[in-house]
Amino acid sequence: MDFFATYLALAEIYVLLGLSTNLLVGIVGIFSVSQAAVFGVGAYITAFLLMHSSTPFPLAILVAAGLCILLNILVTLPSLRVSGDYFVVTSFGIQLLGTAVFTNWTKGTGGANGLPGVPAPIILGHEFIEPQEFLLLSSIGMGLGCLCFWLIMRAPFGGLLRAIREDELAVAALGKSVLRAKVSAAALAGAFAGSAGGLYATFLSFIDPSSFDLDASIFLLTMVVVGGARTLAGSVLGPFVLLALPQILALIDIPASFAAALRQLIYGLLLIVFMLFRPQGLLGERL
Amino acid sequence: MLWLNLLINGLIWGCALGMVAISFSLIFATTRFFHVAPAAVYSLGGYLAWSMMKRGAPEWVALLGAVVACGLVGAAIQKLLYERLDRRGATHLVVLIASLGLAAVMQNAIAGAYTSNVLQFGLPWANRTTSIGGALLTNTQMLTVCFGVLSYLGAMWFAHRTLLGKRIRAVASNPFLAEITRLEPRRVHIAVMAIGSAMVCIPGVLVPLDLGLQPFGGVPMLLTATIAVIAGGVGSISGAFLLALVIAVLQNLSLLVMPGEWSIGITFGIFIIFMLFRPRGLFTG
Repeated sequence: MDFFATYLALAEIYVLLGLSTNLLVGIVGIFSVSQAAVFGVGAYITAFLLMHSSTPFPLAILVAAGLCILLNILVTLPSLRVSGDYFVVTSFGIQLLGTAVFTNWTKGTGGANGLPGVPAPIILGHEFIEPQEFLLLSSIGMGLGCLCFWLIMRAPFGGLLRAIREDELAVAALGKSVLRAKVSAAALAGAFAGSAGGLYATFLSFIDPSSFDLDASIFLLTMVVVGGARTLAGSVLGPFVLLALPQILALIDIPASFAAALRQLIYGLLLIVFMLFRPQGLLGERL
Repeated sequence: MLWLNLLINGLIWGCALGMVAISFSLIFATTRFFHVAPAAVYSLGGYLAWSMMKRGAPEWVALLGAVVACGLVGAAIQKLLYERLDRRGATHLVVLIASLGLAAVMQNAIAGAYTSNVLQFGLPWANRTTSIGGALLTNTQMLTVCFGVLSYLGAMWFAHRTLLGKRIRAVASNPFLAEITRLEPRRVHIAVMAIGSAMVCIPGVLVPLDLGLQPFGGVPMLLTATIAVIAGGVGSISGAFLLALVIAVLQNLSLLVMPGEWSIGITFGIFIIFMLFRPRGLFTG
């Protein structure tokens, strides 16, 4: 039961990340491989606030989300101003820089050994330690995220974002600010990823750089691609399917070092196969 | 004299980086897609050469074999993956995701086959040093400089003096016009990917002679090279090579003031500065 609750809670956290990635990659059409780094920033900030100050858990998550918004605005502005293509470089840069900070800034992040002992979330005096209890929190987080995503997609802003993906020039010709819309989308994606990071850190109570590296970003992208880009259903389905994969691989008897490479290889293969034969994923729209 | 050593190291490292930059510049200017997969071809080249040497092949045969093999792999990637996507009218985003997937597959296949531990070539001659003007250079470093300069001159000669080079530049400047004048952009793209992949293999073999082989070493290298290409001006081979030298020197000189783990920050900082003040790069009109 614990095992299943853990799987569900993790999948729900990854749904938030999926929404974040989907918003950028699927809806606006900006390629990004830095989602995991932003996720990590959220996780480390939440961990820091809870371990070194008496900040209550909800406030810590809000601060993490806020700082991730700020971070995303700061880094996307210069490159998006020029061309969407150059954002590829920016996102690789942020990802590698993020990994460098998580690994080498030993004082703040515990370095490659990670940061153990992140306290469990406490809300109104109740401590959410057991996976079953935490499931409630992650479900609320996922629910809020999905609601937010759904509302944005219905709002004129959602229409604007989709229009930018189809024809940037036409949107600009209508007098809309393309840059502002793109940066707003990136900021929103930052909020999703940052709060997911906060939930992740407090759920596992241990974080290390390997959860937030380039491979993790590729994993997030695979999740969205397999589930289906551009739709809410796709972002929800993807994490539940892909997080089951390591469990299945664990049933096959292979050495641990080889298993990590095999898992990542499968994610890459899924990306290629879906792009070639089913760009809309399981429940999405055509990319 | 630490700074002088760092300067020399930077120039040598810049020659290796320059080869990756020229390769990326060639591919990006022609196909207009950000290919991430050459990062994996870079790693593949080193491992192929290593395997051939372990089976007793002489060093130059191993290098040549790896270069040819990488060229073929590049052509195959273009033919089997990118061209298929292109025929289905795939967007940039789709090609980019597929390219990232391919890089992940290749790198992890290498990691699975050779483990992700650092492998050393263990060649005694590679680390033998010669003193040139007071600076001690290893044979590997001298080879890197020779190959870097030769690659730059070769690429310039190829692009401006040969028929295929002119065809590539024609396709790069106007794919539509190239199509209707029967320059066959699809075949040109295959040639470009083959040449680019073969070139990226050279530093892929030379750099590990010094530092050892790692399956995932290609990504930071490709990112830095990409930044050199953008800062130098997309399409300019000289710009790409020059900026690769500059970035490598700055990375090395930055060691005077901060530890090496942060050099990615320097590289990325250069990119941001260019994005803010000269987004089209140095060498474009």
